[in-house]
Order: sequence, then C-alpha cells, then structure tokens
Amino acid sequence: MHSVVAIKQVPDTSNVRINPETGTLIREGVPTIINPYDIHAVEMAVRIKEQFGGTVTVITMGPPKAMEALIECVEQGADRGILISDRRFGAADTLATSYVLAHTVEALQEAGPVDLLLFGKQAIDGDTGQVGPGVAARLHVPLLSNAVAIESFDPVARKAVIHRKIEQGIEVIETSLPALLTVEKEIAAVKRAPLPNLINAASYKPELWTADAPVPFDIEQVGIKGSPTIVGKAFTPPAREAGAIMSVAEKGLSEAVADALAMIVQASVVTLPNQNGGRP
Amino acid sequence: MASKYTFDAIVVGGGPSGTAAALTMARGGLKTVLIERGRFAGAKNFFGGVMYTHALADVLPEYLERKPPFERPVTEQGYWMLSPDSVVRIMHKSEHYKQEPAEAHTVLRAQFDPWFAEQAAAAGALLITKTTVTHILQDAKGRVIGVRTDRPDGEVYAPIVVIAEGVNNLLTQKLGLIKNDLPPRFVALAVKEYISLPPKEIQARFGLSGANEGAAIDVFGDATMGLPGTAFLYTDRAGLSIGVGMLLEEFVSHKLRPYEVLARFKNHPAIQPYLDGGKPLEYGAHLIPETGYDRMPKLSAPGVMVVGDAAGMVDAMHREGTNLAMTAGKMAGSTAIAAHQANDFSAGFLRQYRKNLEATFVLKDMKQYRRMTDFLDSTPHFMGTYANFLNDAALRYFTAHGMPKRDMEKQIVGLLQERRSFFGMASDMLKLLRAMRG
Repeated sequence: MHSVVAIKQVPDTSNVRINPETGTLIREGVPTIINPYDIHAVEMAVRIKEQFGGTVTVITMGPPKAMEALIECVEQGADRGILISDRRFGAADTLATSYVLAHTVEALQEAGPVDLLLFGKQAIDGDTGQVGPGVAARLHVPLLSNAVAIESFDPVARKAVIHRKIEQGIEVIETSLPALLTVEKEIAAVKRAPLPNLINAASYKPELWTADAPVPFDIEQVGIKGSPTIVGKAFTPPAREAGAIMSVAEKGLSEAVADALAMIVQASVVTLPNQNGGRP
Repeated sequence: MASKYTFDAIVVGGGPSGTAAALTMARGGLKTVLIERGRFAGAKNFFGGVMYTHALADVLPEYLERKPPFERPVTEQGYWMLSPDSVVRIMHKSEHYKQEPAEAHTVLRAQFDPWFAEQAAAAGALLITKTTVTHILQDAKGRVIGVRTDRPDGEVYAPIVVIAEGVNNLLTQKLGLIKNDLPPRFVALAVKEYISLPPKEIQARFGLSGANEGAAIDVFGDATMGLPGTAFLYTDRAGLSIGVGMLLEEFVSHKLRPYEVLARFKNHPAIQPYLDGGKPLEYGAHLIPETGYDRMPKLSAPGVMVVGDAAGMVDAMHREGTNLAMTAGKMAGSTAIAAHQANDFSAGFLRQYRKNLEATFVLKDMKQYRRMTDFLDSTPHFMGTYANFLNDAALRYFTAHGMPKRDMEKQIVGLLQERRSFFGMASDMLKLLRAMRG
C-alpha cells in the first residue's frame, strides 16, 4: 500500500487581512498552517497504513518554509515528505500546480505503484478546489471529490467504496484503485499524535525536489509560464448587514408577522396575493 | 535500568533557561530532548523586554553570526516618575551604549525564543513542541528517571531532567521541591501591549537617531496608581512595548483589573503622546515570580534540577530575568555533563549546580535583594509618595512667582513634611538602604 497525500501550507485565514488597494491577501506576518482539509487527508492515509501496512508519502509544492508543514505531517504519522520547491515554480495557477504534482506522482510511480491519492477538497486561501481534480485528469485515475468516508477498502481486489458529499445528499460509489480522493474534514478526525512520532519528526529532514532534480520538470508548464489564468481584479465584497428582528414577545405574533411581511414587500422581494386570496 | 533511557537528558520548557540548558548539554555531547508545550518555543512567553546580552554570549559565543532577532539596542535608559498630571524624568544616554555588540537589546520573545530554540536544535538537541509534560517520573527510590507527557505513548526516560517550566511551577511543586503554590504576595502580574508604529515615528518621538538606537524606560508612581510596582515603555524596531506590573496581591486587595490599570497608564498626559496613532497589535499578561532568595525551591534532587522562573530567578530591582535564566540553564547543563562523566546523578553530585550558581551574579544578586519584596510590602506608600513629591517640588522649583527663593524652598520642604514625617522618611530610607544592601 502506498498512499500519496498532497498538501498545501496556507496563511491562517482566521488572521488574514486584505490589502484594500491591491485586493490581495496580506501574507506578511500571518502565521501559516497546513490547509485544514489536507491534515484530514493525511490522517486518513495514516489510518489506512495502520490497517493495511505500507507507506504514506506527503508532497507539497511551495516555498522552503513549507518544510515545516511536511514535518508536521510526519508527526501525524506520514513516512516521507517531499517539498517541490524552485523559484521557477512561483506564481503557479491550478493548471501549473496540477502538472507539477501529477509529474511528481508519476516519478514516485516509477519506484513502485501508488494505490491511493488524497487531497483536501480545496485550499482555504484560493478556494478553487481544482488541483485535486486536475491531477486526477492528468494521471487518468478515477476522481472522487468531496469524500466524507471510506466504507470499505480492499487493496488486494484493488477496490474501495467511498461516500461523497453531493448537493442532494451522500453518494455511495465503488471505485477501482488507484483513485484520487479530495476529502472533507469528516473523512477522519485528526488524532493527537503519539510522542514517538514527534521524536522521529524532530530530526526528520524532508526531501527537496527542484525543477531539475531528481526528476526534470517541463519548464514551459510550470510557474507563471505554465499559468494561463489572469486575475483581472480582486475585491472584498461588502459585508452583509444584519437582518431585522421582530420580537414576538414585544409585538405579539400577528403584528410581528405583519411587520415582517411589510418589510419583505417593501424590499420588493415578493408581492403579496390580492385580498381574494387569488393570484396577483 | 540504563537501557530504558531514551535520552541522556530531558529539558521541560523552551524558554531562555531551558533552551540554554539544552544547548549546553547538546554541545557537551548529551543526547538531549527539549519539550515545549506551545506551538513553538516562545509561544507561551510574554515579556517587557530588555535582554542583556552577556548571558547569551556566555551560552552561545557566536550568537551575533546567527543573527538573533533583536529589536533595538538600548542606548538610552532611565526612570520616569509620574504624578497624576506631571512627570520627572531621569534618563541616561551615552555614546558608550553604542559600542557593538550592545550590552542590552529590546526583544520580542515570540521571535527571540524560537530563534534561540533553533540554535539548540542546530547543536543537536531534539525540539518537541505542542507537548506538555504532565508528570515527572521517579523510580522506587524517588530518583527522577524521566517524564510523562500529554501524548499517547508519551513517556521518555533520561537520568537527568531539567525543569524549566516557568513561573507556574506545577511540576516543581509536585516533586515537593517547593512546599506551596505561588502566594499572591510573591508573584507579580504584568500586562503588556505591543503597539505598532513606523520606525521613523518612534525615532522622532524618543529622540533616537536611527534603528540602531533604542530607549528603555521604567515608570513609577502614578503609573501603578502609587502602588508598589513598575510600568515600562520600551522601543522595539517598529513598535512599542508598554505595560504595567504589580504584585498579584495588589490587584486583588484593591480590586483592580489589570487592563484598566494599563489603560489608565496609557492615557496619562505624559505617556499618551508617545503612543498616539499607534495600532495595538497584541495584548497579553504574564506572571513574574517575586519569591526572592529565601523562598526559592530546592534547586536539585536526585536526577533533577530546576532553572529560571520555575526557581524564581528574577531580579525585579533591575528588571532582569532572562539573563539569570540563561546563566542558570548553562550551569545546570554543565552540571548534567559532569554528572554523565562521573555517572553520578545523586543529590550530592547535583548539588554542584547550586554551588556553582552561588558563585555567579544570579544567586549573589538574588541574595542581595532578598528583602526587596518585604521592603515594598512594609512601605506600600513609597512609590506614590515620593513620585508625587518630586513632581510637586519640581513645579515649585521651576516656576517664578515673584516669591523669594528662600520661601519657595521652605514650601518644598513643607510639601515633603505634609506627606511624611521626618521619622517616617528616615525609616523609609533606612529600609530602602537595607533592602539594597542585602
């Protein structure tokens, strides 16, 4: 069993502010964390390893600082961390990022099969949710986005039954392996890592892969060169105003409802039916 | 038993004392683990902060090459004495302070501590964060043999444990090295804000010529509403550290809320202009042990040593703490190395640690100021009375009323006598002298 988890180090958006002039995130001085969905993906991979054996490899594309995130994944039980980092990878959009990650997985496959790919459903800084699906498309493996549970997993028959969140409810779907899952937080609650993991991680040095070594990347497809996306404009939407509250205790039920209806009509959201109860 | 040991030494707490101990032991070839409960070393720390460089240089001679995150060198320092509407300032500025490396710097611990812990890690210590030590493990004979943490499979073993757990010394208490919990009379509560301001603005306000100059000011009198305690105002690179510290007992007995005392201080007419337009980025509070020399815990027992705030190593008189902590950490570290060489972790051997420390400024200074807390306790009016007097006297002295100067001088003497009888004054001064001489 070899699971590969792709993670992203993101600014802790609970702290993040927007530069009103440029419309971009102010990243300076903001603490970084592992993208919250991704750490659940790592946890899921570790649980599969605990049940079926094998290894968990965590990969990330990012600046040198992202080493910290990989070390945290090793604390959580991952065996190996690979940082794909090179100035030439900078300013990548989801197309270029999915190329780099897919190419990395292909390189890992040279050494032995990869049975499962896990991604967080989206990163909280960009919120596109496109990188996981992009990698699945490039690697020609089944994509199961927004996975919330793995009902069964059979590495011998190379099959798994996955629950995924869709708008109408939960879809239960059987897939062949290898497959790529993008996961919701429900997939696995993150456990407090045991001390030996932390001792192991404290001296662990993640591998550093550059654009040239150990596997060469196609420079045309990475970084800003490989990114056709153009951000025309970014802005902060105006904050929503709080709604009015009609107090039944103060006004009585019928008056509160009448007032509320009057406000709705005034806002031209709906028109009331005429007095006869017929259609307007 | 020896085979059970995972490490040669365990350090509990990644502050200045624990990190200094870990760094020293790692450099001495001991397999050392440093366990910190915060997300990173320094995450749980908060202090004013002036750091004296001598202790750092002693622990890490090449510290300058490692680019420590200092804020500003301290090139001007002194005291401001506030009355409710005035201030008397005694400041010292000297070209001497500009010699490099500077002897004191303002620092922010959330930046300094992680850097310092990194140096210990670079020396070979294993740094484990986000992990709280909950118990000190002892064998049947009571010898310390390791620690238990709050993590699954969370026990590690070593023949030496250095406790650097900070002011809230629960493990030290559990081990029986100190009898009681910190009484409110012997612990200060300091509250502080970090206020962001552009470096140029700071330099203009404090009369500094550039980022290579900084001011450290201790403020007395009305800053603490005349109660025993001090306030402080330090310049950082792009912000100010401003805070108030008083004995916990004072907050309790006068029913004061710490943030209200700080807000009152910030709004003082002599303080507010320095802060004007600054953005408060951080507010925090921390306890400072004021236990003093006579109430320190036992500093060692079989297999264990206590360093830093956990042992009450603070010199409140000179607002020193991190330097005492680092020096103690180094002493404990060297003792651990010697203990490994002698393969002797007994109470008798580890007593060396205290003995060596007695020979340094750490315990000498603490011994000298052993009566300081008692002094403030017995003269609670001290700060308020004399700060107010100084301000009122200055007002008389610097104003011309067409009054003969002899009469003005009489008025000033009268001001003093109104506040304190001759015998009261003599007793205050005598007590102060005694407290200073130790």
